[in-house]
Amino acid sequence: MKTYKVKVYPENIEVIAKEGENLLELIRKSNIPINSVCGGEGVCGKCKVIVKSGKIDTESTTHLGRSEIQKGYVLACLVNISSDLEIEIPLESRLEEGQILLGNEKLYSKVSDFVRTESLEKKSIFKLFPLTIKLFLNLPYPSIKDNKSDLERIYREIRRYYDFPIMQTGLSVIKQIGNLLREADWKVTVTLGMRNKTTEVIQLEKGDTSCNNFGVCVDIGTTTVVAELVNLNNGEILGVKGSYNKQISYGSDVISRIVYATEKKGLDDLRNAIAENINALINSLAIESNIKLNDITSIVCAGNTTMTHLLLGIDPGYIRKEPYIPTVSFVPVIRAAEVGIKINPRGLLATLPSVASYVGGDIVGGVLASGIAESEDLSILIDMGTNGEIVLGNKDWLCSSACSAGPAFEGSGIKCGMRARNGAIEATSIDKNFEVKYSVIGNTKPHGICGSGLIDLLGELLKSKVIDRRGRINDNLSTDRIRDNRGCKEFVVVWGKDTDTGDDIVITEDDITNLIRAKAAIFAGTLIMLKKLDIPIDEVKHYYIAGAFGSHLDIEKAIFFGLLPDLPRNRFKFIGNSSLTGARQYLLSEEARDKCESIAKKMTSFELSVEPGYMEEYISALFLPHTDLELFPSVK
Amino acid sequence: MALTGLEIFKLLPKTNCGKCGSPTCLAFAMRLAAKKASIDECPDISNEAKAALGAASAPPIKLVTIGTGENKLEIGNETVLFRHEQTFYHPTGMAILVEDTDSNLESKITEINNLVFERVGQILKVNLIALKNSSNDTSKFTNAVKIIIQNSKLPLILISDNLSILEEGLKITASSKPLIYSANSSNYEKMANLAKQYNVPLVVSGENLDELADLTQKITSLGVSDLILEVNKGDFLSNLTDLVQIRRLSLKKTFRPLGYPTLVKVLNTPSYDELFQVSVYICKYASIVILSGIELWKHLSLLTLRQNIYTDPQKPIQVESKIYDIGAVSDNSPVLVTTNFSLTYSLVSGEVEASRIPSYIIVVNTEGVSVLTAWAADKFNAEIITKYLKESGIENKVKHRKVIIPGGVAVISGKLQELSNWEVLVGPREATGIPAFLKEIKI
Repeated sequence: MKTYKVKVYPENIEVIAKEGENLLELIRKSNIPINSVCGGEGVCGKCKVIVKSGKIDTESTTHLGRSEIQKGYVLACLVNISSDLEIEIPLESRLEEGQILLGNEKLYSKVSDFVRTESLEKKSIFKLFPLTIKLFLNLPYPSIKDNKSDLERIYREIRRYYDFPIMQTGLSVIKQIGNLLREADWKVTVTLGMRNKTTEVIQLEKGDTSCNNFGVCVDIGTTTVVAELVNLNNGEILGVKGSYNKQISYGSDVISRIVYATEKKGLDDLRNAIAENINALINSLAIESNIKLNDITSIVCAGNTTMTHLLLGIDPGYIRKEPYIPTVSFVPVIRAAEVGIKINPRGLLATLPSVASYVGGDIVGGVLASGIAESEDLSILIDMGTNGEIVLGNKDWLCSSACSAGPAFEGSGIKCGMRARNGAIEATSIDKNFEVKYSVIGNTKPHGICGSGLIDLLGELLKSKVIDRRGRINDNLSTDRIRDNRGCKEFVVVWGKDTDTGDDIVITEDDITNLIRAKAAIFAGTLIMLKKLDIPIDEVKHYYIAGAFGSHLDIEKAIFFGLLPDLPRNRFKFIGNSSLTGARQYLLSEEARDKCESIAKKMTSFELSVEPGYMEEYISALFLPHTDLELFPSVK
Repeated sequence: MALTGLEIFKLLPKTNCGKCGSPTCLAFAMRLAAKKASIDECPDISNEAKAALGAASAPPIKLVTIGTGENKLEIGNETVLFRHEQTFYHPTGMAILVEDTDSNLESKITEINNLVFERVGQILKVNLIALKNSSNDTSKFTNAVKIIIQNSKLPLILISDNLSILEEGLKITASSKPLIYSANSSNYEKMANLAKQYNVPLVVSGENLDELADLTQKITSLGVSDLILEVNKGDFLSNLTDLVQIRRLSLKKTFRPLGYPTLVKVLNTPSYDELFQVSVYICKYASIVILSGIELWKHLSLLTLRQNIYTDPQKPIQVESKIYDIGAVSDNSPVLVTTNFSLTYSLVSGEVEASRIPSYIIVVNTEGVSVLTAWAADKFNAEIITKYLKESGIENKVKHRKVIIPGGVAVISGKLQELSNWEVLVGPREATGIPAFLKEIKI
């Protein structure tokens, strides 16, 4: 078969392509980060590349403007390679390693008014008892009198320290025992894995290596993946790293990925993508801390139900179809190597249990981390990721629901929206002449507006009467920032001369409608849950906000916008990446693992789409802040 | 006051064992609170809890059954003041009054039997025949009873001021459980005895709500609890006020003495007035209406109204899955496809009308959910649309093969084109974009 050379800039690397090979797939395969929201269907228009030389054969698309076509722009997913090419992947098509929600230390720098994780975690300090432990054994020498077998001798010694009822050991380890014990003069370190109620002897090492025992906890988000390296002997966090979820190239939301996994037989692609993702994070964490992969003996992952299925290579198809049933919610502890995760080859992988198809282990982890399930007080936990999930409850009961808010708060589906990373506008103010001041993450030229920036902006637009309470732009104001773009009104936030691409950054009336719908879905979901249980909103004593979006959010403006209820401000607490915190606690403590199981078991999930009053609440919330101003006394 | 889900939850074992079929104890408690489950489904509940729950979960409005077999009428057991809060469960029983002095009783019964209609797949009919003892003559009354039970399967309401005549009628019909009318402050003990002896439900009449409450307490202490409250102040407005008060007191205050179904009469009223009054009583809380009108047109309107009030608002409203012609369509008109959620359809059809371009809208059955929801749940995919393009007959209506799909499901365009051999045009994401879109495209 004929092959061609494709040179990719600015990486300046050369890739060999087969005749007719799809350009997007080639780029993905070459591990160059490229955006593709729809997963290569020619629908989203995000995978723009510039052809510098070479002949191409492509379909026409509405996603490219005339000036772009003149510059040589094409959509990579619509190009089948039929000649040597030189292409450039422009800034806007890149998946950049952004300011992904990492651990919690970075996060809280901006929210000094609110309680930080330290105090939060004090509430839920669990006894250290990690998923895998290393134990040094100085075994008594065998004799005619004490003639127990080698393995029994090891078990007997272990039981001097721990009262494990059931222990087991794999044949491959048993085969090594005889020689290894004698070579090591009966001084060995055993690695013990907690596989639910059974304890497994995972490996045997000569001498005392018990100080080298590490674990990894991972938050697998639909959009981002964050991993922490933890010293299992003392719970110390040695490092944290994040990256975009590589599965994004196959679709930005869970439904698109389920479609890809089932209809396109892409389950392996998706599983490989996430395993590579995790492996890359573990590798760089291990290198930075100068530890061996072999000394990482366990890993815990928290993700939504679909992410968990994909990590384990389980067909997620039935999650999507009525009545929305996942294959598994409590996954047994397995070996990490079984799903391609490279740590100690006999190391263990645990995943946080999920509740339902749209309430996953990430939420269970969040509940664990927030301490809701231990408090007498009634609390709400809200995780505003790619979807919005809400949990309500206390130590006796918990209920949750997923409200399909959509990814508007992650900047998706918004003309100039972007994720919270360098170049994103995160705060604005508008003066009486409609001039806009703004602050940008990373103090660079602005590229777009992130979720918290959008909420901030809407508040300002409302205050300065650029928009009314329904979100309509008032075009009778004397400012050239308000204009009509092919039938859709828009407001120019930043003129092109000040932006990094040279294009104006705008917010359109459609964007505003989208954002109002997203906030209405979340607010209506909150009210419906309270209503179902006959609880007045005022009885909610704590309101925890988790997720990347939460960390930059201005509470006052979020209430003004009608996203958060009008409660005393000191009840709101940002808890950052609570899914990751939950995964870490699960890794480190047996108590936390038990707690997690019980949380998942007792959580009742409500399907809002079949809730009779939901539509009505939703429509009432399509107003800024709400149709019923009584709900927002401090905004009046 | 009925217990809330959380209050019930506190009485449950909290094991989350799932043996009841609900995933958690809270989920079960909420089903109990919504009266969608029975306490017996929990195998581990303690006897104390069961007793506490049993008392509290007694319905605020008693369920009363009149008649037996397939024509029996169940009324009461309502749980909400407004239909949209949940649903109204037991449709108003429509009773037609006949008298034992009617010379043409038999033909009247035939007419009543013919008041049966089919509408959207459901059979609508009147429920009861109310026989009034106007003759004050025992044999005339018993004869009339016999004629009715020979000619109709509908349950009876026996109306007489003369208790011995009433008892003769009861002797013939007791096994089919008629309703007897009525107990008041002067005869309630005897009426209660009759109801008890023959095990039939009883109408209670009083001057006002206080007297009614007083009477029901006296009657229940005599061991009769299948009661129906008559509202009969005479004028329309006071009747309506009483019906509303009874419903409010029983639901909001759990005032047990008024926690029974209701009955109201609309007799000897001019035709349109009768229709109007009965309509209002159907909407506002009458469990039984006795009327004298027997005209087909009148009952068709009333029964249609009743059906609409008593549908379950929790089920999504759907439009029929078929081809809709908007405007003066031709074989060259655009073809748009959407889902059968009524709101989706009305938005799409509204915008197509506004465009003034005659078009076909083909509505796919997605079980009443909107475009993106249906796509997410795999109910609106390329296969389903392809199948419907073939089955709907649209191929015979247009010469072209171009179909417009909602912009929200642009991802299925490739596959749809492949499967259906129709050229797929991706429409706007929002219905508001349809007029501009239709003006731009060429078919």
